[in-house]
Amino acid sequence: MRSRLYPVFKYTVIALWACFVAGPFFWAMTTSFKDVNGVQGGATYLPWLQYEPTVIGWRNIFGGAGGVDVMQPFFNSAVVTLAASAISLVLGSLAAYALSRYRFKFGFIKNSDIVFFFVSQRIMPPVVLVIPFFYLLQWTGLLDTILGLVIVTVALLLPIAVWVMVDFFNGIPREIDEMAMLDGCGPFQTFVRAILPNSLPGLTVAAMFCAVFGWNDFFFAFRLTFTEVQTLPQAVVALNSSIPPWWTLSAAALFGVAPLILLALWVERYLSKGNLSGAVR
Amino acid sequence: MNLSATDLCLTVDGVDHLKQVTATFVPGRLHTVIGRTMAGKTTLLRVLAGLQAVDSGALTREGADFLKTPVWRRDTAMVYQQFINYPHLNVFDNVAFPLRRAGLSRNEIRRRVISSLARVGLADFERRKPSQLSGGQQQRVALARALARGTGILLLDEPLANLDYKLREQLRDEFRTLFSDQGDTVVIYTTTEPAEAMMLGDVVLVMHEGQILQIGSPQEVFERPATTTVASIINDPPMNIFTGRIESGQVTVAGFQATHVSAHLADLPDGVYQFGLRATDVSLASAGVEGEVTFVEISGSETFVHAAVGETPFVIQIEGIHDVALGDLVKLRLRPERLFAFDEEGSLVRTPSYDLAPVEGR
Amino acid sequence: MTQLDIVDVGHSYTPGSEEERWALKPLGLTFEAGKTYALVGPSGCGKTTLLNILSGLVRPSQGQVLFDGADVTALPTKARNIAQVFQFPVIYQSMTVYENLAFPLQCRRWDKARIDAKVHQVAEALDLDDRLRQPARRLTADDKQLISLGRGLVRDDVAAVLMDEPLTVIDPQLKHSLRRKIREITEQFRPTVIYVTHDQYEAMSIAQEVLVMKDGRAMQQGTPEQLFEAPSSTYVGYFIGSPAMNFLTVDRTHGNVTLGGRALAMAWDIPQSTSESQVGIRPEYVEVVTEPGPNTFPARLRDVRDHGPQRVFEMEVAGQLIRAKVPRENGIPALEEFLVHLPRAKALPYADGRLVLHS
Repeated sequence: MRSRLYPVFKYTVIALWACFVAGPFFWAMTTSFKDVNGVQGGATYLPWLQYEPTVIGWRNIFGGAGGVDVMQPFFNSAVVTLAASAISLVLGSLAAYALSRYRFKFGFIKNSDIVFFFVSQRIMPPVVLVIPFFYLLQWTGLLDTILGLVIVTVALLLPIAVWVMVDFFNGIPREIDEMAMLDGCGPFQTFVRAILPNSLPGLTVAAMFCAVFGWNDFFFAFRLTFTEVQTLPQAVVALNSSIPPWWTLSAAALFGVAPLILLALWVERYLSKGNLSGAVR
Repeated sequence: MNLSATDLCLTVDGVDHLKQVTATFVPGRLHTVIGRTMAGKTTLLRVLAGLQAVDSGALTREGADFLKTPVWRRDTAMVYQQFINYPHLNVFDNVAFPLRRAGLSRNEIRRRVISSLARVGLADFERRKPSQLSGGQQQRVALARALARGTGILLLDEPLANLDYKLREQLRDEFRTLFSDQGDTVVIYTTTEPAEAMMLGDVVLVMHEGQILQIGSPQEVFERPATTTVASIINDPPMNIFTGRIESGQVTVAGFQATHVSAHLADLPDGVYQFGLRATDVSLASAGVEGEVTFVEISGSETFVHAAVGETPFVIQIEGIHDVALGDLVKLRLRPERLFAFDEEGSLVRTPSYDLAPVEGR
Repeated sequence: MTQLDIVDVGHSYTPGSEEERWALKPLGLTFEAGKTYALVGPSGCGKTTLLNILSGLVRPSQGQVLFDGADVTALPTKARNIAQVFQFPVIYQSMTVYENLAFPLQCRRWDKARIDAKVHQVAEALDLDDRLRQPARRLTADDKQLISLGRGLVRDDVAAVLMDEPLTVIDPQLKHSLRRKIREITEQFRPTVIYVTHDQYEAMSIAQEVLVMKDGRAMQQGTPEQLFEAPSSTYVGYFIGSPAMNFLTVDRTHGNVTLGGRALAMAWDIPQSTSESQVGIRPEYVEVVTEPGPNTFPARLRDVRDHGPQRVFEMEVAGQLIRAKVPRENGIPALEEFLVHLPRAKALPYADGRLVLHS
């Protein structure tokens, strides 16, 4: 079966896949250093040889003429993502711990049903949710505010946090909880001192999911905020016009993706050590 | 300071885990609970620790209702059969964990951790994580944590069951010194091994199917097993139990020729009895009852020959290692003066007497 | 069944290191066809390395592996026609018990009737014949392990069955019955079995011959009886037997062996030249007596351990610890000081930690 060509074949496939993944980034990178002349006449990739690099796209997104300032939307996105992720992680871990360690029963509803209820929030199409959210925020006067957006984002992220953490807590032996209680910890202390410190890998995964989903949300921000509060995805879309300024869009897109890339690089250290799943036992 | 259980009952899915368990545990003494797997030993410990609720019954400590005391106020330490430690903490912090919870001073914590690690022979392992230790060492960490606190109740749930035999032998020896001075602590230790129960226990409780069958000193339980079940649990290999009759001065047991009733059974009325004979009181001889070897087991330094005499299985324990082939026909010699007699229901009616110097406790 | 020979086989995981540090120091062994062997020793003793060399997973740094005289050193595992049982049961989760057992035969294109007969024969031996139609994943861990073993046994032509600590994940209370089952089955089918374990109980109950290993060396190979009666080194004396063998340091003056100034008569001599002379005697053979006589020594009782049918006395003889295993009915001496008798034939001479038998 394994001929001498096997490694050649293997690395060809890997190389092709790498191009497929990295291609759009490379395209955006080159485009962001072009101007209107550079984008005409098809795709070109080599600076100085094929096109004259310029930083006009990048200048545009930081308040240059003909662009928008992305710093304020960036800041808004950061606040919403960080606040919503943090709240979701705290509430989500607590809920997940309870669901993992205690038996609940309301009529025919059991623990697994509650977990499914959380996950089911993500099954519904967002467009179904956005209308009630709109009315709720309008009623509470939180439309077009950071706080309103944080609350809605928490509703989106919480199911993810609960789902990831329930699974993780189920993998931690119950004897650890029991031992902590015997060692003098009440239920809350047990959670904080014995279980949470052993859950860092799970929390990391949950935090990463929350950050990605929170950061990339366009739909809810688009429908629930207007002028006062703009998030980064909104700002990027707002750059679009009848003649798309590709260089500015590319710069804005790269700028928007940058935090996630940094996050991925940081989390990768944990992933590559392989200690995300096998941390306990 | 006594810990008293009265009529504790627990049924899960129709199976009795605890059935009217009544026992008093006394400070300063080591209680070994012996029973087979699923006898309810672990359940009992979990109830005492507060980790498991019961259906009915009472548990009191110094006369106060202990069932209402939450786990974290029970002043109880427990060592599990699996080696349970905090994975995120190193050995020092693992042992220090309950001491910090108790709010001891930094110096006092340091002093106690160092001394209890030294007691379990892990003095140089403070900075290691549990995952970097062998199974035996992990169990020593768990033990050090339990000992460091000096709790009022110390529960050990088959702490040696998952270790291999040389290590088990070594730790068992160490336990004797480790638990020799327990001050005011109630120590309860579960095991499936008779030798462990006998060697470590001041008091032995025999459990079977959720019930406590007998409570007594190791010697009492071993020499006067209340029932055939106790007799088979407290002996390893289990005591040979077989049915027979006493009739006009002769004992007849299934498949055996009649033997004269030994002196200690002489005054028993005629009738059907169950007889018990320890594996050490049966031997292979040149003449005797014929049996077929069905299995041979070798422990550290004994040979257990399983032989079938007709329908009745026998176990014979021989000191040293001997080569006996499966399927061999062997002759069994029973020692009639060593027969235990139980009535048809299995209650003890007569024990053999030891003819040498009276046996004293240790 | 096949005879396995290893000829001057040694292995190091780090090429070029000194021989002293090899995981397996060069050695030669013969595993006779149809016998059960146990490799036993603490972790890191080289037993697993040796097993992996036999299975073909590890190619030894030096030496040859012979199966019935044919050199298989360079052959991979699947070309060696062996069956393996690992720590964790390896079964086909989606198949029934029957399909699991039949699978290796179907792969060999046996005809249906022959497969059926063989599977039933093996299943009966394993006590699985009433569960043949059950999905294998529903079985308990010990039954799954039996299937792993059974898959090796259905093949008549299998060269050897290699087992690597197969009882590790089995509940302690079920170990006993599985151990018994393995012994019964190997007696019935008589394959060549190499069984690796760190548990002496297991090794001695299952195997006809036991190889005790330590630090990459074979310490002693022999029947359980030989290991018990004449351990070739103080290590084996300690490792095999519970409690361990007693070793007492003795003096040699004017050709006589003395213990605490009293003569100790032995069936063997201790060579003159050695630096440390010890006498080894099993606790089972140490006798507590009241009458003075040859080979009796004053002893002081330090502790008594009640094992049930026997008691273990911990005593001091000539300032050294000695244990005796005494039947319960003998009672405990009322006096603190009494005598122990060391039978002449059971006291073995050790020099520098090794058994030296010169009559």
